[in-house]
Amino acid sequence: MTALDTLLLISAITVGVALLAGNWRVGGWLVTILYALQGAALLMMSGLGYSTLTVVQSSFSIEVLSEQLLWRFDALSWFFALITIGAGLFSSWFASGEWGERYRDNGGSLRLFHGALALNVFTMLVLLASGDLLTLFIGWELVSWASFLIMALAGGKAFGYAMRYISYAFAGAMALLGGLLLIYAEVGSFDFQSLKEAAPQMQASTLWLLVVLLTSGFGVKMAILPFHLWQAKAYAQTPGPGAAFLGAISSRMGLFAFIVVVVQLIGISRLVEMEIPFTFLDAQDLLAWIAVFTIIIPTYIALRQHDARRLLAWHGVGQTGYMLLGIVIANDLGSAGGLMHVFNYASYQAMLFMVVVAVIHRTGTSDLNKLGGLFTRMPLSYLAMLIGIIGLAGLPPMNGFVSKWLIYRSLIVDGSPLLFLGAVIGTLGTILSVYKLIHNIFLGQLRVEHVAVREAPLSMVIPMMALAVIVFVTGYFPGLVLDWTSAVQASIGIPVLAHHLGGVSMKGGLDMIWIVSVLLIGFGFGTLVFFLGGRSRRVHQLDNYAGGHFLTAETRYHYSDNFYPGLMHLIGPWYRNSFEWLERGVISAVDTLSTAMQGLYRNAHPSYLLLAAVVFALSWVIV
Amino acid sequence: MNELDKIPVRQEISVAQGSVKRSNPLANVFDELVRFCQSRSMFMLHYCTGCGAIELPPAMTSRFDMERLGIQPMVTPRQADILLITGYVSVKTLKRIILTYEQMPAPKYVIGICSCTVNGGMYWQSYATAKVLKEYLPVDIYIAGCMPRPEAVISGLRDLMGDIKSGSASNWKRYFQNYDHYLGNQQKLFDEDWQTPTDIIAEAEHYGLITDQTLGEHTALLQKHQQPLEALEFSLGEKREKIRGENQ
Repeated sequence: MTALDTLLLISAITVGVALLAGNWRVGGWLVTILYALQGAALLMMSGLGYSTLTVVQSSFSIEVLSEQLLWRFDALSWFFALITIGAGLFSSWFASGEWGERYRDNGGSLRLFHGALALNVFTMLVLLASGDLLTLFIGWELVSWASFLIMALAGGKAFGYAMRYISYAFAGAMALLGGLLLIYAEVGSFDFQSLKEAAPQMQASTLWLLVVLLTSGFGVKMAILPFHLWQAKAYAQTPGPGAAFLGAISSRMGLFAFIVVVVQLIGISRLVEMEIPFTFLDAQDLLAWIAVFTIIIPTYIALRQHDARRLLAWHGVGQTGYMLLGIVIANDLGSAGGLMHVFNYASYQAMLFMVVVAVIHRTGTSDLNKLGGLFTRMPLSYLAMLIGIIGLAGLPPMNGFVSKWLIYRSLIVDGSPLLFLGAVIGTLGTILSVYKLIHNIFLGQLRVEHVAVREAPLSMVIPMMALAVIVFVTGYFPGLVLDWTSAVQASIGIPVLAHHLGGVSMKGGLDMIWIVSVLLIGFGFGTLVFFLGGRSRRVHQLDNYAGGHFLTAETRYHYSDNFYPGLMHLIGPWYRNSFEWLERGVISAVDTLSTAMQGLYRNAHPSYLLLAAVVFALSWVIV
Repeated sequence: MNELDKIPVRQEISVAQGSVKRSNPLANVFDELVRFCQSRSMFMLHYCTGCGAIELPPAMTSRFDMERLGIQPMVTPRQADILLITGYVSVKTLKRIILTYEQMPAPKYVIGICSCTVNGGMYWQSYATAKVLKEYLPVDIYIAGCMPRPEAVISGLRDLMGDIKSGSASNWKRYFQNYDHYLGNQQKLFDEDWQTPTDIIAEAEHYGLITDQTLGEHTALLQKHQQPLEALEFSLGEKREKIRGENQ
């Protein structure tokens, strides 16, 4: 039994235990321990992450139609599995304490919740372990259905959003299936190796069709433009820690499959050869531009949200663009940045969702217009959110800075100033909206109804703090993650990034140990002045300056509604919901078509059908 | 009681205004340095109450350029050193001015610009204006005129800078030392339940400026009406529950 068998077995057992014992008081903790065991099984294969091992096979395989179905782990699978299991572990930990009890008391089924979460992890591991295109498709479908399950748990509105997701996922899966059939027709095998060998000889037209089909299929899961509409609402409505899990890793499965098939097997160099007629663009540029618009548009949609969960979920869509952009650029810097961003983003997105869920747990709302001033009440949650938004905005000393730096640098090295500009515009939107997030929840005036609010329970605070430590430590020592991304780069055949513990070793490189140490010394000096300087005096929050106005508890001086009116005055007219309009157009077109077909078959002209059948039969007999 | 100088002030405190030489020569150098820095970095909150405010934009902008002297506008009282009152003060506005003044951290200086702040000026007969500003707040410098030109404003600010450098600009201490007097005038004008969120007596204790004039009948009246505001404490849960348990 190989390490991969152990991992998949423990993961399957986790699903069973979650379904069996999910409702028990200790059920959540049992499942959490099992996730930790999965992590241990993954560490048995840690050679994959450091290039000392190339592949770990599973001893389980089936033969279908003379095709051997294989499951195996390589560096890429290991890297994504690490994030998946980590996200599962922390989400389940978060859900096991008071949150779970509250969820059960409100009529939710913890058994289903833990079951769905464990099933998600299991199916993702199966997908990550896929060893050929057919197992990839099987894993793909499993993941889609598992995601649907956890999204639909909350019922009501959430079910509607989950249905929307599954319609998108179906369309994507059909595109993927089409792509796979095309590959089978061209190559005659579902094997990875034979596709890799056949790709350089493929005709440009076939390759175009193939890339469009595959990218659309994987793009639906990644929610890249123009398939981005389903994700934010569906994730935001997922119950509590489920949203943290989905936000952290679920849609990265699309990226994983994209890397495996398009980057590793077809190859970016092949994409560069595919020029778009009558333009100076090629397929790589096209993908890069899609990635940039995936950064910009959802990020600015996030800026307009006033529900904290939706704001974060829209960022999830936007940040996918950075990962895709880095990977499509495919030089050593860019791909390392894109891969590292997957890890970094998962760490702080899970943490931010957890903070928001903790706030909902304590105050009952995630409406940004109904919160404020919780800093004094939930200081640890505030700290977690602060660290998370610094990471999300890509500022030092957190890990998000390193991955964004790598992506920006790769764009400069690649000579793509316009892509760079687009990425920077996206970051600007991110900074603006995360400031809105922390300001409207934690800063400003504490509302009268929230005076008695307390810090979130330990079962919620500890996972948040653990993730905060990860975000900071991998920002201080990015080499820890860059080791893994280098192993991935080596295994998918991209130039490996030269790095050290502190960052990138190149001319004009990056050494986070220096940067963060200087920052810490600066902060230390400030702290010294604060504590050794004159005594400070606390004042009441209503003892505040509002142009000399006397503030009372009834006076709301916390300014949260209609945030950034000046900016919205400038860019407001750009929000036209064009994609919603497009989606409605497609829906009504399909609706009309199906009504017409139904009318033709069932109601209107059965006699015509009879006539057509008779004519066809006669012509067949005569000819 | 309008003449401030007639109010008896306990001697040792009124002398301890910074001009006293300390025995350690290094400490003197340090005090001198601090005062110099203070005089060269003045953040002013201009409470634009009347027409005199119109003279401030030219004083601040490129023609007269106050900032070459280290004088800059500031938007909140918490970071400001100077409260600039530019014109007539209606009773309603005076409440806001006092609130703002009390929110400023010491050392703080008040400048009254225009005749209206000196004696009511052309509003002397109005029923709605507070005529003499220094009855309610300790004013450091008056810049008279209707209105004073930017040169005059800057000249007044330079006088204040000189006072700060020499250590004689210490009127802010009077507010704490004679709080009962000022509060009495405020109560006479507003009402006996007049109060601001700032706890001046606690602040006087903080600076060590309590005298026998600080407390009196007016502060007793204030304490009768005051609804104290407790500062928000950090809470992680357990402490608050403990308190609640004790109450039960």
